Amino acid sequence: MGLAFVSRGLAAAVFAVALASSSVFAATPKDTLVQAWQIDDIISLDPAELFEFSTTEIAGNTYERLIGYDLDDVSKMFGVVAESWTVSDDGKTISFKIREGRKFASGNPITAADVEFSLQRAVLLDKSPAFIITQFGITKDNVKDAIKATGDYTLDFTMDRPYAPSFALYALTSSVASVVDKKLVLEHEADGDLGNGWLKTHYAGSGPFTIRDWRANEVVVLERNPNFSGTPTPLSRVIYRHIPETATQRILLEKGDVDIARNLGPEQITALSGNPDIKIQRAPKGTLYYLGLNQKNPNLAKPEVREALKYLVDYSAIVDTIMKDQASVHQAFLPKGFLGAVNDNPYALDVDKAKALLAKAGLPDGFTVTMDVRSTQPITGVAEAIQSSFAKAGVKVEIIPGDGKQTLTKYRARAHDIYIGDWGSDYQDPHSNAQTFASNPDNKDDASSKTLAWRNAWPTPVLGPEVGAAILERDPAKRAALYEKLQRDVMADGPFVIMFQKTESAALRSNVQGFIMGPSFDNNLATSTSKD
Amino acid sequence: MAGTSSSLAAWLTTAEPQSRAQARLGHAWQGFRRLSRNPTAMAGLAIVVLLIFVAVFAPLLATHSPIASGDLRTERLLPPGPVFWLGTDDQARDIYSRLLYGSRLTLAVVILVSVIATPIGLAIGTISGYFGGWIDRILMRITDIFLAFPRLVLALAFVAALGPGIENAIIAIAITAWPPYARLARAETLTIRNSDFIHAVRLQGGSSLRILLKHIVPLCLSSVTVRVTLDMAGIILTAAGLGFLGLGAQPPTPEWGTMIAQGRRFLMDQWWVAAVPGIAIFVVSLGFNLLGDGLRDALDPKAAR
Repeated sequence: MGLAFVSRGLAAAVFAVALASSSVFAATPKDTLVQAWQIDDIISLDPAELFEFSTTEIAGNTYERLIGYDLDDVSKMFGVVAESWTVSDDGKTISFKIREGRKFASGNPITAADVEFSLQRAVLLDKSPAFIITQFGITKDNVKDAIKATGDYTLDFTMDRPYAPSFALYALTSSVASVVDKKLVLEHEADGDLGNGWLKTHYAGSGPFTIRDWRANEVVVLERNPNFSGTPTPLSRVIYRHIPETATQRILLEKGDVDIARNLGPEQITALSGNPDIKIQRAPKGTLYYLGLNQKNPNLAKPEVREALKYLVDYSAIVDTIMKDQASVHQAFLPKGFLGAVNDNPYALDVDKAKALLAKAGLPDGFTVTMDVRSTQPITGVAEAIQSSFAKAGVKVEIIPGDGKQTLTKYRARAHDIYIGDWGSDYQDPHSNAQTFASNPDNKDDASSKTLAWRNAWPTPVLGPEVGAAILERDPAKRAALYEKLQRDVMADGPFVIMFQKTESAALRSNVQGFIMGPSFDNNLATSTSKD
Repeated sequence: MAGTSSSLAAWLTTAEPQSRAQARLGHAWQGFRRLSRNPTAMAGLAIVVLLIFVAVFAPLLATHSPIASGDLRTERLLPPGPVFWLGTDDQARDIYSRLLYGSRLTLAVVILVSVIATPIGLAIGTISGYFGGWIDRILMRITDIFLAFPRLVLALAFVAALGPGIENAIIAIAITAWPPYARLARAETLTIRNSDFIHAVRLQGGSSLRILLKHIVPLCLSSVTVRVTLDMAGIILTAAGLGFLGLGAQPPTPEWGTMIAQGRRFLMDQWWVAAVPGIAIFVVSLGFNLLGDGLRDALDPKAAR
């Protein structure tokens, strides 16, 4: 902590010097892309474990999965590591044919054994994202049979029920299904951890870039993969610098010290819009901002209180000011653009109604509650606006600040009262969000499925089975209707105050070409980016 | 009126005081006379008095609520003007009103830290110096340990352990503030513990406690007071530093350091959000420093006059 303080002071001193002498010009090299970004949420770089915004983007640039989807039309899927696939007659088994003659960055060939190892490993390690694969009825006990290489270049993926094939395929596009280098990883195995300890800070993939270095809260360096089987990247290096201050990101961008600033606030984007050297790129994301209300808190467990809090957020004012250019109001758990998404927003700030609901819950004078807030913008600003509007009905919020690691760890341990956070869907299928917001099969503290409903200790005896039924429905219209009902039920009774859908805005130097911002956060790609 | 004040002055400056209280008051009066001849010290005193005045009358002076947000759409990040005298912040709150209420926190921190840290420092220093031997060795090594850490870093560690919040920040600063007072009090005690008048009290059967409380502590008090006043600027800066790093007062509390932390995002375009509390911290710290300097000149019995 002391060191961080000192280095912050040093950085300030360096800026003072840089500002004083305007002749200092530090353009980044032509073949290197430098991005200023808040990367304090990185816990691990192991694809079987990583589950954060920054790490999934890094995995998207550095690892390959069996299949991918077209970013402009998410319904079009194509093979990446897989050449082709067929679904068995009973709908339970998908057989993949692996492309031959391709290599990992280490030089080892990519075979079905590597794919088998990667997917089995994700199940056996059982980290946060493992449910994306285990939801197909694959457990630690049956994984050796369910995910099986049937030859050097063929692999069978067997599920316990005939799920809609698109659902299974979308799940396999997520970062947890990344293909890792079996031989390299096993060389670094320690105490049967399947190489998890080593892969947390190292790289064993086959993507367009390799991860050369990660220093916590400082930098992540990607380098062109010389053994990549596709088109080589125009850039030889991509550097993510951890710049927590958005004002600093802006100065660095204006000075040309970074090529892309990723976390600028609305005021800064407005101020930069007149600068000819800088362009703004925007893309709607499948990311939602929400409040998680822990049902272990006796006050928050009252249904009237949950509903009252939904009437105590000034949604439209926040989107017009604090979150300008960064979000739109959205209150259902499926983002706009997903199958069955509910796009009407029934809640608005209504203090009288909220007071009446609180009185009905036996809390006419409100109550005191804590909120865990990650100390980055716009989260802090939104949290303070909510603190202020909650206070109008007597709900006193104590804000507990922390960095991403602290607040997330606390949230995952169910030790919070209210958590303010963002949620990005893990894959493009509506089941991703439906499962996490509306299903909690086991509400015990040591449950294996740790969905958002679980994190907020909300049991789902009715909605859970409905989520299960929706994934087996093959008629898209009927399936959409099922998801619509689920969203309305969660909206009315759930422990989530879903508020906004994210719009991602990045400010780029105008010489940066071809930076891709896809619909999901794991397809923000620098793989075809160049600088002129 | 004039007659009363001149007779009061005569009573205070008499060469033959009739009571102990009169002697003490006369001594204090002479100290104040010396202080008042120093213009910078009087400027410092004026700033401190103003701070106390503002803190006491904040509810009467404030024009808006320091905590409740205004209308986000129309009242956010406004520059200083006739309605919001020092502008508004990103939550549409009036910075002038927040500044006034923030002075209460600043004053509370300064007073509480002094009240907690000074007795601890005095007690440890005088006991250590008076008894000597292994008591001295143990107490001074503990003091050394505390002195070995930079103050802000040690305060950060304590706050991290106790949890963020203004009360914990005060405790953490107090824990880190006492060692210099202990050192100072010990040095003073060493110079007087073998004086004839101490021996005289002891021969008359005065207990150690009586000697410490009635004879040693009063003699250490003036130098420690000067040191505490000089330290107050440091205390304010440490509290603001903790607030800036998110470990002191928590939002929406209008603590000055926290206000700077919230305003730094807008430093480029809405400078007043961070600059106003920054100037306040600067002025108040300067005030305490000037006053402390003046007090040292006025109270130091050994200084040449």
